[in-house]
Formats: sequence, C-alpha cells, structure tokens
Amino acid sequence: MMDRIYYYFIRIVAVALAIFFLIPVIWMLALSFTPEGQSVFANGFQLSFVNYQKVLSQAPIFGWMGNSLMVSVITTVLVLILSSMAAYAFSRIQFPGSKFMFLLFLSGLMIPAEATLIPLYLFMRDWGLLGTRTSLILPAVAGPMGIFILKQFFDGLPKDLEEAARIDGAGFFKVWYSIFLPLSRPALAALGIFSFIGAWNDYVWPLISISDKAYMTITLGLPMFQSSYVQQYALPMTANALAAVPVLIVFLIFQKQIIKGIAFTGGKEL
Amino acid sequence: MGTKSLSHQGWITGILMILPYTIFFALFSLFPILYGLRISFYDWSLLGDKVFVGFENYTNLIQDEEFRSNLLHTIVFTLISVPLVSGIGLLLAILVHSIRRGQSFFRISVFMPYVLSVSVISSIWVIFLQPYTGLFNQILRGLGLIHEEIFWLSEPTLAWAAIIMSTVWWTVGFVFILFLAGLQDIPASFYEAGQIEGANRWQTFWYITLPSLSRITILVIVLQTIASFKIFGQSKLITGGGPAGATKTVVFSIYENGFQTFQMGYASAIAFVLMLVILVISLIQTFVLRRLES
Repeated sequence: MMDRIYYYFIRIVAVALAIFFLIPVIWMLALSFTPEGQSVFANGFQLSFVNYQKVLSQAPIFGWMGNSLMVSVITTVLVLILSSMAAYAFSRIQFPGSKFMFLLFLSGLMIPAEATLIPLYLFMRDWGLLGTRTSLILPAVAGPMGIFILKQFFDGLPKDLEEAARIDGAGFFKVWYSIFLPLSRPALAALGIFSFIGAWNDYVWPLISISDKAYMTITLGLPMFQSSYVQQYALPMTANALAAVPVLIVFLIFQKQIIKGIAFTGGKEL
Repeated sequence: MGTKSLSHQGWITGILMILPYTIFFALFSLFPILYGLRISFYDWSLLGDKVFVGFENYTNLIQDEEFRSNLLHTIVFTLISVPLVSGIGLLLAILVHSIRRGQSFFRISVFMPYVLSVSVISSIWVIFLQPYTGLFNQILRGLGLIHEEIFWLSEPTLAWAAIIMSTVWWTVGFVFILFLAGLQDIPASFYEAGQIEGANRWQTFWYITLPSLSRITILVIVLQTIASFKIFGQSKLITGGGPAGATKTVVFSIYENGFQTFQMGYASAIAFVLMLVILVISLIQTFVLRRLES
C-alpha cells in the first residue's frame, strides 16, 4: 500500500516537472501566434500568423538557417570522414610516430576553442577567409574528440572481422570504408549528432568572424534581429520559434537516436 | 606469411590516413595556440607595431580590476551552477528511473532545451522573465511566492540568478541523460543483494546506487566545470554583461579586449590563463579517476 502511494506520488512529481520544463517553449509558441500587445490568454487560442509574416519580411531567417545548415552539414561530414579515417589508422595500423601523434591529438582536447579566438581571427584575416562561411567550418573540423570516440569503438571490434578481407588482398583503406564504416554506424551517428549540434549552436566564433548579414548563421543573426525590438515580445519570440521549430521537429523525429547518441559519446568523452 | 611487407605497406597507408586530419589540427588548433602564446608576450593593438613586453601582459592582468572581477564572477558562477546542474540532473535521472510509464515523455521534455541554440534560449528567457508582461513572475505570483514584481535583469544577484536558471534549464537534460544511462547500467544483481541484506530505500541509494555512479559523476562534474568556465553566450545575450558589468565573465574579457579595444597581446594572455585553468581541472580529474579505479 505504502509502495503504491509512493509510486503514484513519484509519477505525479515527474509529470509536473516534465510540464514545467516545457513551459518556456510553449510560451514561445503561444506568444508567436499572438499579435503584439494582445494577451495570450485573451486571444482565445486563435492562431494568428501576422507575426510570422512580419518577421519573414523583415529578416532573412531562412537565409540564415540555410547558412547554418550548410556550415553544420559540411562540418559534420568532414568530421566523420577525417576522424574515422584517423581513428582506424590508430586502431589497426602500426606506423612510426603513431603513439606520438595520438598523444598530440589527445593534448588537443585540452585546447578550448575560446583560447584560439585571437590567433584564429588573425590567421583568417591573413588568409582572406575572415567573414566567410568557410571560416566557420575549418576550425570546427580540427576538434579531436571524434578520433577518441571512434578509436575506442574500433578497438572494441573483433580482429577476425577484417582478417578474411586482408587475406583476400584488401588494403587498409578498403577495409576502413567497406567493413569499419558500415559496422560503426551507431558510433558515427552519435558523433555526427554531437558535431552537428555543436556547429549549429556555435556563437562566439561566428560573432567574431562574420559581419556581413548575408553570411550569418541563425545563431548569430537571431540576436542581431531581436536587438532592434527592445520592448516588444511578439516579433522576437516569433523569430525564436522560426529558429527553434525545425530543430525541434528534427529532434522529435530522431529523439531516440539522439538521446542514445548523447549517452554513448558523453560517457566516453575525455 | 610476409607480415613485414604488410606492415611496411601499412606505414604509408597509416600516415596517409591520419594526414588529412593532421592538417586541420595543425592549421586550426596547434599553430593558433602556439601563435597565441607568442603574441601574449607582445603589446599589439592590431593597428600599431608589435612590441615585445615579456610577462607584462600577465602581470598587468593581476592588477586589472575588471579582469579580476570577471574572473571572480566566472568562479562564483561555476561554483553555483556545477552542483546545481549535476545535482538536479542526478535527481531527475533517479526520478525517471523509478517510474515505469511515461519515461520517454519525460526524457523528451527535459532534454529538449539542450538542442536549442544559446540565442534562442537566451531570448526566450529574457522575455519569460520580463516584469509585468513575462510569464515567470505571473507564475510565481500565482503560486503566492512573490507579492511584487521582480526586475530580474536589473540587479546583479537577480541577473546571475536569471543566467543560472536559464543555464540549468538549457543544459540539465544532457547531464540527466548521462546519469540515466549510468543508472540503467547498474546490474540488477546489486539491488537483489541489497534486498537480501534488508536494505531500505535510502540505504540502497547511498550504498548501491551512488557508488555505482561515481565514475559518471566525476565525468559530469569535470565536463560541467569546463563548460561553466567558458560561459559567454548567456551573459552576452541575456544581460549584455550588465547591470554595470556585474555578469561579465572571463571569455567576455577575451572578447572585449580582443575585438572591441583590439589589444591582441593582452587578450591572448587572458586566453592562456583560461586554458591553464581548464588544464588544471582536467589534470585533477585524471588524477581522481586513476585513484578511483585502483
């Protein structure tokens, strides 16, 4: 009896907390469908799209999202290819300097992106890349986390997997893409999600590099647009909703894989 | 068979396979950090000449009131937000682990804020916390917790409270997922053994659950400490560093010295101090983990 009361109590607390977590997001959506100056509750839950029309006519929200998508996708693809290739070499091939290079990359984990802002700015300026979307992609690919996550995963794969292929004369390169890549899909998915979220949400480096409105990512463009609406809430919230909804939809579709991926990579990080 | 020739062929392939990443690492991580170290010994305002000043930037840092208060803000923020995020994440994980139905609804709603960008969450909270029009004060009022409007962003302590609340809301889902995964990895036999011994709920938690989570707890604390030390977006976007600079942080110092007054050498010195702090935290973590495992 006590156990059942306890169990129901826990469940009620859990549901209340879950709803509490959703309130800010629901509030965002509610405000975005309510014209400026009206009360969300007075409006009788009628959906008004006037804010959406205004925001879309005043700010290149879709252009910014396109930039974010482009930067995040290219970053993610490059991270997946380069890290898995290097991780495979570290896991399966003996070559001189492999220990040293691995330790060097390992020490790279301790370099926070914030510590390289100044030199990166100077380098990109000298190379004529400052202000371009390329300047956002290149440093994001240099993070070594993917190599460690994938090397650990590859180390756990049984050796006899590739031995048959090797005896048949397949080179290391072929074993990597025809055996290791397909087998490590869950690990690659996890790493891909991590890289994508990281690139999409990056704020400080785009803030420094990009000044042309046309090349801004959504994370950078959004606050710039909102800063011109100081005492208004409807349009800034609508801009938030426009930026958030596609991400939330993708999250809801892939939530199982994303949460599993976070548990997988997060637990292996460092 | 000819393992020797195989490994010889391997040499070249191995080097070729790490080469593409190595180029990125060298150009965008290793060289920048070394160059940053070098210019931290120069006085350089970007327009003028570079003048070698030795450790002057670093000694100036010690006397720089603004940097010192920004560092203090960052440390206080870290000391408050790390236990909060880790503790709440653990509690939520334990709560969800003990319910049988509705787990996925809970997982989704707690984790959801984490996928939003810092710009979106900051703007949501700024509007959420507005006096008179914001929902947050209305909820507190409805619950009878406050009787007059709270101006969250115009008083230093409240502004920090606002940043911490929004940070907890935004990031706790990540920690929660790690703890939940940790809880699910604890073998059922541990709990059965506890039952045989006649352990109550509290004893089970204290002697079985918590020790089994020690590895993941350390990991969470280290990841959170490092992330907290690098806080910038929330304070830039929620409070603009205000009121009167009260919510500026170390990365704020790098940003302002580097890209508003263009003191490249001085900003690089700050960046190095930040890196050293993070390095020390990582080393302590490695040390503690080693001791824990032996």
